[in-house]
Amino acid sequence: MKLIHKTIIYYLLISLPLLIIAGFFSYELIKTELEDGTDEALQKENLNAQKFISTFETPKNVVLSIDNLSSIIYVKNNLKGQEYNDTTIYDNIEQENINYRILKSYFNFNGNNYLITVSKATLEEGELMEGLLSSFVIIISLLVVAFFIVNFLISKNLWKPFYKTLSELNNYDIKKHESHSFQQSKTLEFNQLNAALNKMTEKIHSDFLQQKEFTENASHEMQTPIAVIKASMSLLMQSSNLNEEEMNQLQSIENTLKKLSSLNKSLLLLTKIENNQFKENESISLNEVITKNINNYSDLIQLKNIQLEVDLAEKISIKLNPILADILISNLLQNAIRHNIKSGKINIKLKNNSLMISNNGEPLTISKSDLFVRFKKNDASKDSLGLGLSIVKSITDKYDYKIAYSFQDSLHTFTIQFI
Amino acid sequence: MKILLIEDEPELRKAIKQYLHQEGYIVESASDFNKASEKTADYDYDCILVDITLPNGSGLDIIKQLKQNHSKAGIIIISAKNSADDKIIGLDLGADDYLAKPFNLAELNSRIKALIRRRNFDGNKSIIVNEITIIPEERLVKINGETVVLTVKEFDLLLFFISNKNRVVSKNTIAEHLWGDDSDQMDSHDFIYVHLKNLRKKLAEKGCTDYVQTIYGIGYNFKTTI
Repeated sequence: MKLIHKTIIYYLLISLPLLIIAGFFSYELIKTELEDGTDEALQKENLNAQKFISTFETPKNVVLSIDNLSSIIYVKNNLKGQEYNDTTIYDNIEQENINYRILKSYFNFNGNNYLITVSKATLEEGELMEGLLSSFVIIISLLVVAFFIVNFLISKNLWKPFYKTLSELNNYDIKKHESHSFQQSKTLEFNQLNAALNKMTEKIHSDFLQQKEFTENASHEMQTPIAVIKASMSLLMQSSNLNEEEMNQLQSIENTLKKLSSLNKSLLLLTKIENNQFKENESISLNEVITKNINNYSDLIQLKNIQLEVDLAEKISIKLNPILADILISNLLQNAIRHNIKSGKINIKLKNNSLMISNNGEPLTISKSDLFVRFKKNDASKDSLGLGLSIVKSITDKYDYKIAYSFQDSLHTFTIQFI
Repeated sequence: MKILLIEDEPELRKAIKQYLHQEGYIVESASDFNKASEKTADYDYDCILVDITLPNGSGLDIIKQLKQNHSKAGIIIISAKNSADDKIIGLDLGADDYLAKPFNLAELNSRIKALIRRRNFDGNKSIIVNEITIIPEERLVKINGETVVLTVKEFDLLLFFISNKNRVVSKNTIAEHLWGDDSDQMDSHDFIYVHLKNLRKKLAEKGCTDYVQTIYGIGYNFKTTI
């Protein structure tokens, strides 16, 4: 729920009982005021009637209103005082009950007594209620509309820096930290928020850099010891008095060392890509890179008896670091060869500024979303590091290319959309 | 044949020295920039192996000095920093080759041999081992004077064997030589087996002795001496 909507609901929840109380009081107040007004008017008419009587030469009865309710009646007995009465009379014309307030008073003129009856139609309670209710409904709806307008304006202006910060936060990419800072605003709280965010992202970024640096340094530092072991192994292997058992052990050490070494190299490559160490971009012809890589792997493709179908009719040139371009294509091609079945197929196609490479292979045993995650590999038994596609992804991420994977008709397809 | 090895890691220095010594080279070594600078100034070498990151200085500066002194030595950079920039800078300065750590000694050996061959302009450009003659520049192989047509990989394999003849070379080392970094990603041992099988067949057809000995599961030895 949006902040504005919440505010409006709270406003309404508070204003509703207030309005009910206010309605009750207004009702009472208006009612009293109306009654007072009616009474005053009746008194005035009473006085008028008295004035009228003063003009009488002989005592007589006079009807003052058409409805017979107001009248001057000559009475014998001498009575004094006045009283108010409320009565309801059915009105034939309007076909409804109408409330009347009636003032009966006695008046003595020249020794003659008169009963003066004056009446006035009053507002019905129901009508009053109805009127009040509808006016309150109008007030409430006006309030809601006003809330909306005010809040809209507030959120447009007052909350503007907040929403800006929010969208900046959403777009925050730790790898592009340098180009980022939460701007000052004129509101104290937002300023504090932005300052806190700046501080926080600064800290996260420096931790991130340290972490990356550590990975790179660690990988670098490991190269020399690995080189020493490798060299010593080569020497040991030359020894003529090793038996088969010992040689096998030596080989298992060498295989493991090789794995360690390539793991290290791949990690180093990944951190280098992420640390932006491949800066220089050139205009690269993808067609050339693909052709070159196909030539490189032609013997492997032949040995695995893979049918290669290449459609490079479209010429695509992109701005890319030449080393990364080569790594991108060779990793995809290697992936297609490695996970292929015997006598399988590989299709490579350049079309609509995108590269499609598909290969036959067993369905994935890991989820699609894990495909590009480091060290996640489809088939643990295969001699794979689980870094090849992570490297591909980090290259496409670096250049904002979109990479997609699909599996259809036993064909795994990677599509890279260049921009 | 005199080689100077400039490397600060003592264990690695020892191993490289021993391996190259077995190959019949005279190997001297320097462990830091100053010693290396002295030695290169005082003596002539056929080949200099130089690490880039050295105590008290950079191996790249050694290369600069060598070039200023118009040294004729072949230079191979051996660096833990497998960075393209270093490689380009080093080669631009006049280094002949670049080998990233961790490397195989057999690979280093074959690079040194290739370098010396290239530098040896007036000398013999062919390698002769018994009935086998290889002319690397023309990628030509002859058995008893008869040309054998080999594929690129078969030729590389044979040359690598001959560069490291009478040594045990592991399959991993061969794979790295033939496919470089990509060998990590492949079922490379099977591929070596296929290439080797074809190579043996082609050589045998021309009457060449099968010098390749299988050393248990680990690798091969191209044995030309008994």
